[in-house]
Amino acid sequence: MKKFKITGLLALLVLFLVECQKSAVFPEDQYDERLSAGVATVFDATSKAFGAAFPTLSTYDEYVHEKGDQVFSQTFVTAPAPIHSGLGPLFNNTSCESCHHNDGIGLPTAGDNRSSLLMRISLPGADEHGGPVAVPGYGLQVQDKAAYGKQPEAKVNLAYTYQSYSFDDGEEYNLRTPVYTLSNLYTPISGSYLLSPRLAPPMIGLGLLEAVPESQIVAYADPNDANGDGIKGVANYVWDVTTKSIQLGRFGWKANTASIITQVATAFNQDMGLTSKILPVENSYGQAQDDGMKDDPELPDSTLNAVKFYAQTLSVPARRNVTDATVKRGQQLFMLAKCGTCHRQTLTTGINVAFPAVSNQVIHPYSDLLVHNMGAGLADNRPDFKADGQSWRTAPLWGLGLYEKVNNPGYYLHDGRARTLVEAIMWHGGEAEQSKVYYAHLSKADRDAVLKFLYSL
Amino acid sequence: MKNIFITAFCLAAIAIAGCKKDSTNNDQNTSASTEQNVLTDFAAVLVNPNYQDIQAKALIMNNAIVTFNATPNDANLEAVRTAWKNTRAAWEQCEGFLFGPVEDFDYDPTMDDWPLNKADLDNLIASDNPLGVADIEQLGTTLKGFHAIEYIIFGVGGTQKAADITDRDKVYLASLGQSLYNTTTELRNSWDPTQSNSFTAQVVNAGKGSTRFTTRKDVFLALVGSMADICNEVANEKMQTPFAAQDSTLDESSFSHNSVNDFRNNITGVLNAYKCQYGSATGHSLSELVASKNTSLDSKIQAQINAAISSFSGITVTYEKAIYSQQTQVKNVQAAIRTLKETIEGDLTDFVNTNIKD
Repeated sequence: MKKFKITGLLALLVLFLVECQKSAVFPEDQYDERLSAGVATVFDATSKAFGAAFPTLSTYDEYVHEKGDQVFSQTFVTAPAPIHSGLGPLFNNTSCESCHHNDGIGLPTAGDNRSSLLMRISLPGADEHGGPVAVPGYGLQVQDKAAYGKQPEAKVNLAYTYQSYSFDDGEEYNLRTPVYTLSNLYTPISGSYLLSPRLAPPMIGLGLLEAVPESQIVAYADPNDANGDGIKGVANYVWDVTTKSIQLGRFGWKANTASIITQVATAFNQDMGLTSKILPVENSYGQAQDDGMKDDPELPDSTLNAVKFYAQTLSVPARRNVTDATVKRGQQLFMLAKCGTCHRQTLTTGINVAFPAVSNQVIHPYSDLLVHNMGAGLADNRPDFKADGQSWRTAPLWGLGLYEKVNNPGYYLHDGRARTLVEAIMWHGGEAEQSKVYYAHLSKADRDAVLKFLYSL
Repeated sequence: MKNIFITAFCLAAIAIAGCKKDSTNNDQNTSASTEQNVLTDFAAVLVNPNYQDIQAKALIMNNAIVTFNATPNDANLEAVRTAWKNTRAAWEQCEGFLFGPVEDFDYDPTMDDWPLNKADLDNLIASDNPLGVADIEQLGTTLKGFHAIEYIIFGVGGTQKAADITDRDKVYLASLGQSLYNTTTELRNSWDPTQSNSFTAQVVNAGKGSTRFTTRKDVFLALVGSMADICNEVANEKMQTPFAAQDSTLDESSFSHNSVNDFRNNITGVLNAYKCQYGSATGHSLSELVASKNTSLDSKIQAQINAAISSFSGITVTYEKAIYSQQTQVKNVQAAIRTLKETIEGDLTDFVNTNIKD
């Protein structure tokens, strides 16, 4: 009996100790679901959550990040100027931050100081690298602002039509379909041209996405749907101006950009009219608006590199409420609806001894970085390398639950047409049609659980 | 055997006690009613009066511009300059809590973008643009607001005379003044508690229906974050950029030589935010909340804010000169503000995270 008592007590003791351990923060035998970006995760759920640097940076790296942050928020002005010189003459906005408010998703308007929507343009067909064909006098992007006295290339007009729908239980939702047109062209375009709207995307976690080995991404591609699940996934291979070679595209709404440095240099050049060593020719070169100044490259390499480093070292906020029963239920439904087939929860970054912060990290971007056919509803009908006119890259969902806080009110999808997560889900089509239908026929409680899960990201 | 039994019992007791540590103890938290009072007063005693003050002072400046344009002499120009500095002081102070509509609707860059786009401004003045208020509102933010007005009324080096200001400049100036006033009115209205959907309601109803702040803690974190941001901006950007480059043209208010006042008013804004005060009015404050749990932290923060503000008195020349001739004093100010920033980002943020639970 005594023996039994002792054994019992010892068992109880063990139980208590185990219970204690449960509350330990990072069990070694399993990864913590909250850590969206491994060691680069930041515990911040405020409106500034997208602006946090990797917590693991050295003092010097932090300094470079800060430098990049300053450039990211500074306003550029027309050359010649003593400071922040080189804007335009053609541009879409005057600072990085004017589109990437709080490092988050932009505002889907065109032409205002806070507008974050830009319009890609091209002629039908493909260029020598398989990419879009530049429009003579316009290039591949419409700059809708100009230095005082210069004429913007065009005015971008945006109109919505609204349509109401309802779920099985009668709950209504409303989808707005945008129509984009150009007016006030500074010079006529002969023949037909293709337009594709792009909203400034969130800046978080880019360094980690860049560190995912190409082999891992390509392994998920299933361009011929060999497994017959209705979901394909194509790796976009694109012309990269930095390396002057064809590379795997990872960034941009159609994965048409291979690296962060190319993304940053292109944004400076195309969005702000600032030349760099990578893109030393003004976006207005050869056009009537060109300033004819021999001041290129306008950006010092150190400035370009600091902004690249800034973009590379922006952290990802940790998930919230991961143990909540409804969130768990929502996560289960997300997987049952096969959302997770494209919005892949987990990727692992490659080993990089030179940059430990992104090296060998288990991350939860909820993306496969592949492009998928998303149906006619979302189509821009403008091919971009291997991404055809109905294809979009799987948008990473990390940080999704904070969009409303970071960019009040928060918009979704490549052109911000969705005003709520429900609308964003219901816009899915093509390879995602079956997942959308699954969601649409769930009970109200289950649909809400899915949303609660998404808000936990 | 009995010993083992007792030992096991004791161990179990320790284990249980150890577990219990994790449970919340209400005494650890600041009281909900104090938190609510702080939020209510933050809007009522600080933000709304500060924004009203900016609007009132912008109106005075606007009237001074009208007077100057009617009778363009140096005395009337001086009156515009004084009104500009007074408006600027109230504006710089509100940068101690730069969140909400001021950020969401770009009122900040609309009034205070920098640098001035001098090349475009010259082209604008030389053009046939009618320069009416509606025309000004179409322009980019680097062609309007405080710094465009500053450029016209002070000129490069602050040497502008009434006679130097052309008729075109005057038309531009009048519209700039009116446009700035319009923006201050929008800013003020965005928090006006008597208007529905005002941001005051979002703050006061944090955690109980506010769509912007799901918890009171969210407001406190936004406030503390913006206090740290302005410290960083002053010490590491506005002061550091011209200092490191040894180039006074990189100084924000270099036409008016008002930069030291700008910096000091920014840190005064931090003091106002922490102590919940504006003018002679005071209210329930974050300071009070901190002191209720940790008096030494509250004393430390107050001492560091005051040290940062008083450190400016070491700079006895314009900032444009100080970056060359008073480098030690400049560094002292930067060091004092950086110390404060570290405390706000560290101890004060930790305090909010630990003690404000809902």
